[in-house]
Amino acid sequence: MGKAFDPSLIIEFIPTLFHYLGVTLQILAASIFLGLILGVAAAIPRMFKIPILNQLVILYVSFIRGTPILIQLFLVFYGLPAVLQIIKIDVSKLEAIYFVIITYAISNGAGFSEIFRGAIRAVDKGQTEAAYSVGMTSTQNFFRIVMPQALRIAFPNVANSVIGSLKDTSLAFTIGVMDMMGRGDTLISATAHALEVYISLSIIYYSVVLLFEKTLGKLEKYFNRYQKADLSAAA
Amino acid sequence: MINLKGIKKSFNKSEVLKGINLKIEKGEVVTILGPSGSGKTTLLRCLNFLEKPDGGMVQIGNIKVDTEKATKKEMLTIRKQSAMVFQHYNLFAHKTVLQNVMEGLIVAKRVKKKDARYRSELVLEKVGLKDKLHHYPSQLSGGQQQRVGIARALALNPEVILFDEPTSALDPELVGEVLSVIKTIAKEGITMVVVTHEMSFAREVSDRVLFMDGGVIVEEGTPLEIFHAPKEERTRRFLQRISGDSFFPPLKERVN
Repeated sequence: MGKAFDPSLIIEFIPTLFHYLGVTLQILAASIFLGLILGVAAAIPRMFKIPILNQLVILYVSFIRGTPILIQLFLVFYGLPAVLQIIKIDVSKLEAIYFVIITYAISNGAGFSEIFRGAIRAVDKGQTEAAYSVGMTSTQNFFRIVMPQALRIAFPNVANSVIGSLKDTSLAFTIGVMDMMGRGDTLISATAHALEVYISLSIIYYSVVLLFEKTLGKLEKYFNRYQKADLSAAA
Repeated sequence: MINLKGIKKSFNKSEVLKGINLKIEKGEVVTILGPSGSGKTTLLRCLNFLEKPDGGMVQIGNIKVDTEKATKKEMLTIRKQSAMVFQHYNLFAHKTVLQNVMEGLIVAKRVKKKDARYRSELVLEKVGLKDKLHHYPSQLSGGQQQRVGIARALALNPEVILFDEPTSALDPELVGEVLSVIKTIAKEGITMVVVTHEMSFAREVSDRVLFMDGGVIVEEGTPLEIFHAPKEERTRRFLQRISGDSFFPPLKERVN
């Protein structure tokens, strides 16, 4: 077991761990970005009911929802090189962080596709009819009328996913990525002060999440600027 | 000006329009009356292809479309001949009053922004909303929103404006302001087709009244003919049912 609890170590560990926040944020940013692209790509066959692709997306989303992210991570980490081996691509030298990014992108993509699909469907049909009635094409209607409103509807859910994803990145250390959590793991081995490390980590994660919530909340306000509740609050 | 021939439309095998023939002259104000489910709104929506008719021919202005063979492009061209005012206003929720009116001009008609703005402000002044240019629809009352809806249609300077029960969703005290705006533009010689339940409005404004029931035009004529000497039994029964006159006097007597 560890040594006697020493609160001063908590403060001492924070700068060491904080140093690795960049890696965590890198994983987050890359996986959200790729996830958004994947999410749009996956939402399209669902929206337009494209045969085969539609069923594949349904399976993809249901599988991602139904399996723990840790297992998905291992599946990608061990599975992807094996699959790519068949077509003679060697990825065994690829750094572990890329596998993490791929896993989280796939996972976020599934969630985003459902969020986008729901948001687009939630835009009032009358908006589209009005757009057609003034002579817009369906493309003009989508980009000028439907999408801006769908973004507003989707935003709170996307924001939640981002925050959830930020916390999930802490699993990256299981395949040897040196992010905050990974550094914490080595600190524990070196000092045997596990509790202090975990407290430090929770302080950092919590602060970052609070910061994210504040920022995303401001953005949400912006997206809601034409909604009744926000307008009356501003008045 | 507007010419419909044999317009048919079915929803899930139930026939809503059973071959409508209708001619409307330039500058004419036509109101369509009828019980709910009679097909009047569907007929209106077939005019701008919000519903694609199953058969028949639609002509507005110089554009003629055979509905069975209508391509996307043809539908778009004929849509640009008309503008619509909706029951639930359907203003673009993320755009201000001014942007709502400008949108169609800029995007569909490719009018320069400056010109679109000038024209939009002009029509908004006409409907009495010059002081609300930068408000969002959610900040307006129902009556104001519908007046924006009318301005949006008016700005496009279409061959015909289609009104789909423009006052049905309004609080009673807001109906008057919307009707008076519609009356003003009716007097300017704009061709209008109005689906409505406002009998006094229909009587006062229209050049011609159509009574629809069961997917056909049962009877048509001047307001005088329809309201005072309807020929058809169905028209008579409908007008009797809808006019509150016969119900209120006895109620009033009882109160006294």
